[in-house]
Amino acid sequence: MEFKYIGQDIIRPDAVDKVVGKAIYLDDIYLPGMVHAAILRPEYAHARILSIDTSAAEASPGVIKVVTGAGCNLHYGDNIKDLTPMAVDKVRHIGEPVAAVIAETPQQARAALDKIKVEYEPLPVYTDALQAMAEDAVLIHEKNGEYWHLPTLNPRPGTNIAHYYRLVKGKGAEGFAEADVVVEGEFLYPFGSSAALEPHGAIVWFKEDGTIEVWSSSICPFIIREDLAHAYGRPVADVRVHIPEIGGCFGYKSDITVEQTVAYIASFVPGRPLKWVATRKEDFTSTLIAHGIRTRMKIGAKRDGKLVAIKTTIYHSTGAYADTGVNITIGAAHNSTGPYEFPHCDLEGYCVYTNTPPVGAYRGYGHQEAQLATERLMDQLARKLGMSPFALRDKNYLGEGSITALGEHLWKTNGDIRACAEKVQQAIFAEPKPPEDDKYYYGRGFAALMKSPKGAPFSTKGCYLKMNIDGSVSVNMSGAEVGQGLRTVIKQIAAEALQIPPEKIHVYREIDTQYTPYEWQTIGSMFTTQGGRAILRAAERLIAKLKATAAQVLRCDVDMLEYDGEFVYLRSDPSVRVAVTRLARGYMYEDGITVGELAQATADARLPRYSGPDEHGQGNMGVTYTFGAQACAIRIEKKTGKIIIDNFASAFDVGRVINPRQIRGQVLGGVLMAIGATLYEELEFDEEGRLLNPHYFRYHIPTLKEAPPQTVEFVETPGEIGPFGARGLGEHPVIGVAPAILNAIYDAIGVEFYEIPVTPAKIKKALAAREEVAS
Amino acid sequence: MTEQVTFRINGVERTVTVEPDLFLLDVIRDVLHLTGTKRGCDNATCGACVVVVNGKAVKSCTFPLDKVDGAEVLTVEGLAQGMELHPIQQALVESGAVQCGFCTPGIIMELYALLEQKPEATEEELRNALNKHLCRCTAYEAIWEGALLAQERMAEG
Repeated sequence: MEFKYIGQDIIRPDAVDKVVGKAIYLDDIYLPGMVHAAILRPEYAHARILSIDTSAAEASPGVIKVVTGAGCNLHYGDNIKDLTPMAVDKVRHIGEPVAAVIAETPQQARAALDKIKVEYEPLPVYTDALQAMAEDAVLIHEKNGEYWHLPTLNPRPGTNIAHYYRLVKGKGAEGFAEADVVVEGEFLYPFGSSAALEPHGAIVWFKEDGTIEVWSSSICPFIIREDLAHAYGRPVADVRVHIPEIGGCFGYKSDITVEQTVAYIASFVPGRPLKWVATRKEDFTSTLIAHGIRTRMKIGAKRDGKLVAIKTTIYHSTGAYADTGVNITIGAAHNSTGPYEFPHCDLEGYCVYTNTPPVGAYRGYGHQEAQLATERLMDQLARKLGMSPFALRDKNYLGEGSITALGEHLWKTNGDIRACAEKVQQAIFAEPKPPEDDKYYYGRGFAALMKSPKGAPFSTKGCYLKMNIDGSVSVNMSGAEVGQGLRTVIKQIAAEALQIPPEKIHVYREIDTQYTPYEWQTIGSMFTTQGGRAILRAAERLIAKLKATAAQVLRCDVDMLEYDGEFVYLRSDPSVRVAVTRLARGYMYEDGITVGELAQATADARLPRYSGPDEHGQGNMGVTYTFGAQACAIRIEKKTGKIIIDNFASAFDVGRVINPRQIRGQVLGGVLMAIGATLYEELEFDEEGRLLNPHYFRYHIPTLKEAPPQTVEFVETPGEIGPFGARGLGEHPVIGVAPAILNAIYDAIGVEFYEIPVTPAKIKKALAAREEVAS
Repeated sequence: MTEQVTFRINGVERTVTVEPDLFLLDVIRDVLHLTGTKRGCDNATCGACVVVVNGKAVKSCTFPLDKVDGAEVLTVEGLAQGMELHPIQQALVESGAVQCGFCTPGIIMELYALLEQKPEATEEELRNALNKHLCRCTAYEAIWEGALLAQERMAEG
């Protein structure tokens, strides 16, 4: 297939605005009469609120009002309505809103916070799922089970378990009877943060006409709109949500995060727009955090390496509210097979309330966390069987003819993981590794990966195409641009579909629920696949309209007509034609009489037959998969224990590369994020549930000097769903990083790590222990 | 007691009233509404707020206002000449260094301060300068390529 515009490096439509400082992000918006809020966070991670005295704060300069949660009976959430916009009678984590000050300036609001006096009665604190699951654990939510929740969720009343998920394929755990060899282990992917450079924020304005107008740094405007409409008893159409530029997301700006809290505060000053922007500390404590997943896994195989059974138990410390975490528990469980076919699966997940900030998406829904276990155990299994880790994996890869844990059949068009594995093997393992020397140990590690998206049965993405009088086209959609480059992708797909140069395609900037088409939310690496298909479908309809008008003008059957971007012409005699510029608003004859329809079209696209889980926890919950492989060559400095990555290689079967530079950027960034998680990033909570490192200088994210050289390659086996065969890629680059590095550490020093981050101190300790055993 | 400070910002003289607890970033964003300069953290770690004061790159979020009196301040809005981008801006656009764009203005001003002072800055100096900036999107490869391209273009004049 020949492409004109797909596969080229066109420049992002938003790049110039961003380099001149004119791109408008949430905090850059100033509205007439706007007031500012600051939010008080508790001293305890789990406590009853006995009293709140706001009188001194109310008297503070510039203060308009001080708001508490007293009497608030609003519950919200998309999956479980366990959230309240402000703490009512107790606090459940250290970042919860306890009270808020509304003032004329942000400084005045913040200055008054210290003057609010709160009396607490501390309660036991659980920062880990296993503590919260103990028999005698105090309930974090006394009403667990009573909140409205999706019918597919199973909370266990009287416990801290917000949801229990279980998938059984084949004989489940009984399948281990067929295994000759078994390996097992417990792995921990601790709490982390997406830590985008732009902190969360929102502006909410309850207007005198009864409508509500919102601006938010969110990727789910339509969910916010419906949620606020429900909370405040307004028609959905009366809530208007705008999404300006977003300064990075990586997952934690999905779902509803801060908007209900800001709306609740704003509801006390109707008529005035109210802005709240998180401090960096609040961005760590009071939005969504990541991971918190302990994975117990057991894998059984035949002596020849054929996998037979897997048992996974996910203990997910989901935080004080489970609304956003449940899908991560589910995703971690059913994706824990990694890219391998197991005839028998028993995959379960406990989504457990803990006294930590709620966990949300982080470049995936449990994929990287659970597959850390899978890929480490595959290496251990290979050693136990005396097989090459590559040969073991090769024997078991999902692909044409295999069936996933979810029960979905895979075909050639789902991608070629072997081709990916081969590419990274070539990049990292082609030459023998250097022998240990005075300064360094050397190691290499490999991990293969699989990712299904996270969708919802009703999830869809809309597209509105408008052809203008000069043949240029305006594209309106509601996919959130968070930096991933979806506007460029839209431009290229629309250009290709309409055979119009990208320069003549204008892609929307702002999302506005009043004007832009419906989109569920921009999550799960699904925009190119679903959004791209919506563009193709809309383009097809637009072209059909142009042809219908042209058929009248050229006086022929519509199916005799062809379209090439400039003209609609008769297939049998291309000299009989009419320019699209004459058709954009219908065709006008010389006497002014006009025929035909306006050249505009709408369409949407969802994943075909996406479903909820059945009684076995299975269903069409993947539908489209992307496979890949990653590997690295590392050095461990003997003196310091420092891990130096000499090359990190990734290959993914993305079906079709739309924009080579952008897709490389996605992989580079994703890999570096996960290197951060593997080597240094961890949100550290003390026993009291207090976050010890809520700042960039204590929660270190990788800098330029810490970014290793990377090899990035792609395989292009076209898929059947996405545009031109393209599959999703945004989240995937993080999945195999931790296991590849931990496998390389084992290769270098023979030490098994089951937890990240692996810091120099932990390496030194392991080396010292190793020497002790040796001596 | 309120004081006033006067300085030139992007070539225009401005006088502002200094309230206690305000830093240069607060004035740039909240008073002068030059919102191109970003706030990414609470304590001068991320580099998103970097502007140029008297030719030097400074973190404006902790830069005291009394030190701005009489100074020449340049923000990202002051680089382009009408429709013509500064070579640093153009280079970052072309190299694909811009993703979410939140760290971009600070990086541009850092490079501007370095390359204006020292067009022949070594790779080590460029690396040291860029290492003061956090970016969560790009893994820095395209930023690095953009910086080298900018240096080359500026040398060509």
